[in-house]
Amino acid sequence: MNVILCSSNMLKGLYDISGVEVGQHLYWQIGGFQVHAQVLITSWVVIAILLGSVTVAVRNPQTIPTNGQNFFEYVLEFIRDLSKTQIGEEYGPWVPFIGTMFLFIFVSNWSGALLPWKLIELPHGELAAPTNDINTTVALALPTSVAYFYAGLTKKGLGYFGKYIQPTPILLPINILEDFTKPLSLSFRLFGNILADELVVVVLVSLVPLVVPIPVMFLGLFTSGIQALIFATLAAAYIGESMEGHH
Amino acid sequence: MKNITDSFVSLGHWPFAGSFGFNTDILATNLINLSVVLGVLIFFGKGVLSDLLDNRRQRILSTIRNSEELRRGALEQLEKARARLRKVEMEADEYRVNGYSEIEREKMNLINATYENLERLENYKNETLHFEQQRAINQVRQRVFQQALQGALGTLNNCLNSELHFRTISANIGMLGAMKEITD
Repeated sequence: MNVILCSSNMLKGLYDISGVEVGQHLYWQIGGFQVHAQVLITSWVVIAILLGSVTVAVRNPQTIPTNGQNFFEYVLEFIRDLSKTQIGEEYGPWVPFIGTMFLFIFVSNWSGALLPWKLIELPHGELAAPTNDINTTVALALPTSVAYFYAGLTKKGLGYFGKYIQPTPILLPINILEDFTKPLSLSFRLFGNILADELVVVVLVSLVPLVVPIPVMFLGLFTSGIQALIFATLAAAYIGESMEGHH
Repeated sequence: MKNITDSFVSLGHWPFAGSFGFNTDILATNLINLSVVLGVLIFFGKGVLSDLLDNRRQRILSTIRNSEELRRGALEQLEKARARLRKVEMEADEYRVNGYSEIEREKMNLINATYENLERLENYKNETLHFEQQRAINQVRQRVFQQALQGALGTLNNCLNSELHFRTISANIGMLGAMKEITD
């Protein structure tokens, strides 16, 4: 019993140091909905960062771009290239959508990895990247589904549903299933990667507070960027796939 | 055993009546690691990023310069083409004016020549008429003269005898003598 007590005390002590909290949320009640306040707060910060940098970038546009403008034009070029390679010739209208997805996810992930969120103590739960909450990633993945349905329907009309029996009608159930697995895999991939990433860092910090977590943090930065890229690329690829003729 | 469950339960009921605040524990907030990561990121990322952006800037600059050059070349060509057009138009005007005046002159010349020809023809006609008239008159005159002569000869052959012959000769001699006296 003593050992157990001791271990439980140790656990408590460890817990105090590490402060690992999974599944702890700060709940706000908004119009009958329980919302995860820490996600909202960090999302607002991310949105503020994005909007702020956008206003700075477009405040004084010049023919020969200076630093900030140059950087944001480079980002825009990158997103356009991405959309173009995935969607094809008619990529124009989808650049804003893909760009929003990419930028929001990227800045969210990196803010989770770089900003010292833990400086701020919440009554419940803790601040982290918005994308380490499954609600955020689902909220990002569902519009993607809507977007590729919209793209396919506007491009081909009701003939879009013909792709369900391509190449053979036997594949109909699988094709229908695909429409459900796409947002599922998108949201779970992003959520799992970011959550695992932050958890690994937090656990390592709780074990060895200095130096050791640094490589993992870099790995986390890398993964975060890659995940944002993957999400945007897949979204664009789904849209492109639903818009192209059957092959 | 109860303690363990308690401790796990207490995991589930983390400080409930807390409020927003600041965590000042440097180790727990992971500040040192974060600053190291940020520092390394800025140190290495800055070079890469500035290279990237510089390249992009240079590319844009060279593109702009190229297009400026192209534009300048095109403007020059346009200017040249305009100058040529102007020259050609002027030449065309000149030719047109020259041509008109030439045509006018030619026309006048032609008209004049035709008038002259006409006049000459008229003259010829008149002359020919006159000449023909003259000839006809001469012929008539000759004919009349011949007939008169023949008449005279017939008369002479019919009615000439020696006495008349003699008389005629003497009259003629007398006439000739009178004529000689007159001429002397």
